[in-house]
Amino acid sequence: MSQNLHKKPFLRLDHVNFSYYSNLGEVKVLNDINFLIEKGVFAALVGPSGCGKSTVLSLIANLLKPVSGFITFYSEDFNAPRVGYMLQHDHLLEWRTVYQNITLGLEIQKRKTAENLELVDSLLEKYHLSNVKNQKPSALSGGMRQRIALIRTLAIRPDLLLLDEPFSALDYQTRLNVSKDVHDIIKSEQKTAILVTHDISEAISMADIIFVLTKSPCTVKDIIPIEFEANGIERDNIRKSSLFQEYFDKIWREMQNENTGL
Amino acid sequence: MKIPDYSRKFKDKNKAATLTTGQKNFLRRQKLQKLYIFWSRILLFVVFIMLWQVSSDLGWIDRFYFSSPIAIAQLFWYDIKDMSLLNHIGITLLESGISFLLIIILSMLMATFFWFYPSLGELFEPFLIVLNSLPKSALAPLIIVWLGTGPRTIILCGISVGIFGCILNLYQSFAQTDPERLKLIETLGGTKLQAFTKVVFPGNIPTFISLSKVNIGLALVGVIIGEFLAGRRGLGYLIIYGSQVFKLDMVILSIVILCIIAMGIYGLLNLLEKKMEQSD
Repeated sequence: MSQNLHKKPFLRLDHVNFSYYSNLGEVKVLNDINFLIEKGVFAALVGPSGCGKSTVLSLIANLLKPVSGFITFYSEDFNAPRVGYMLQHDHLLEWRTVYQNITLGLEIQKRKTAENLELVDSLLEKYHLSNVKNQKPSALSGGMRQRIALIRTLAIRPDLLLLDEPFSALDYQTRLNVSKDVHDIIKSEQKTAILVTHDISEAISMADIIFVLTKSPCTVKDIIPIEFEANGIERDNIRKSSLFQEYFDKIWREMQNENTGL
Repeated sequence: MKIPDYSRKFKDKNKAATLTTGQKNFLRRQKLQKLYIFWSRILLFVVFIMLWQVSSDLGWIDRFYFSSPIAIAQLFWYDIKDMSLLNHIGITLLESGISFLLIIILSMLMATFFWFYPSLGELFEPFLIVLNSLPKSALAPLIIVWLGTGPRTIILCGISVGIFGCILNLYQSFAQTDPERLKLIETLGGTKLQAFTKVVFPGNIPTFISLSKVNIGLALVGVIIGEFLAGRRGLGYLIIYGSQVFKLDMVILSIVILCIIAMGIYGLLNLLEKKMEQSD
């Protein structure tokens, strides 16, 4: 399984293994995970529920340590990369205003500089949220809340965005709209991102490359570059294209084989 | 790139709605119901007071044992004039206030400590449960032997009634903070202290208010127990002294004042809660 290296490498996982221990013994979650993600690429990890997709993100975010293997970031300035993590629910704190929620990360990292606050204001302005910045999050719709959660993540100027099924708590229609917004925002901010999802259509419509994972203990089964633009298909029309169906069928078959053990 | 302008939708939501006749009728009925309950309560209270007075005047109940509203009012007026009653009320309120503040401060410190060191929380939990279940009046004689009679013993009695339950409830509430919210702080690079100050503490303010509501009453209960056993002043002392010398007017007056204090505290806390809700 090889990837085309036409862009700068950004993140590499080499022979990463992870297990946890319970009363029943050792439970192996990740088994020899290897992949490379290039700078500015939107990658998606797709696999059956409970296969360990979120564990991969926790390892990349340094919330967990691998049992063995290496996670390497290619940094130009030798600084540790800043990782922004978007969770399944927005987790906006209801006692804080929208603005205070967005600046939470900057507050924690003691980086509430004029420059960073200017970025927050410009993000709010750009994504039409300035009018609600002094509201409490309870007054907002699910879609708006998730966009605010994304801006909270972007406010810390992350080098890498990790999206852990961020739309799974939304209803289908909102989900389609918000996932498109989030994709457009990440692309326009030129961020490298990894999306974890079990929704194949979501992964195809958002990602530049898809890593298909096996069921637990999880390993990378296939790497599928998504090439709509190279085939002259515009972003707005990808869901209607036959290529979309082809990608879907391919990933679906691989996941079905996974479930039936073929 | 086209991003929908949600803010416009939000502004529309905030427009004041005009009331229809049906809504107006509904609101009027609701208001009438509230008024009906309020005046019925007043009426019930007045009827009770009148029945008590009449029963006492006509000899249906023994005036020596049950007193009467007029006798209590007279005694109140007499005691207020020489400032002695105000002094007793002031002492009880001061001791209850100090006990309450100490319960809250100590519980907050302990629960915070246990949240930072969960294994210590686990270690102390069964002891706290036992101490919380123990009838606190059983501890009072021991406290008198240790500290003698006086305000220190009374305040300790006041603290002992509420503190163990308050620590347990607050700690359990801290421990039940959504782990995903703690993960959020972790993903933003926050420390455990920041998780506490940004998520755990502010998220538990409603629990804190409801615990305060319970514990201000419990502090009063504890202080009265303390004054029964070790007081020289205060309403608890008046109740015990009054019963010993068969001045039952004094006993009932003290109980009535305690009722008024409890009502005052309840009203004050509701007001505080409303103020906090408004500030949200």
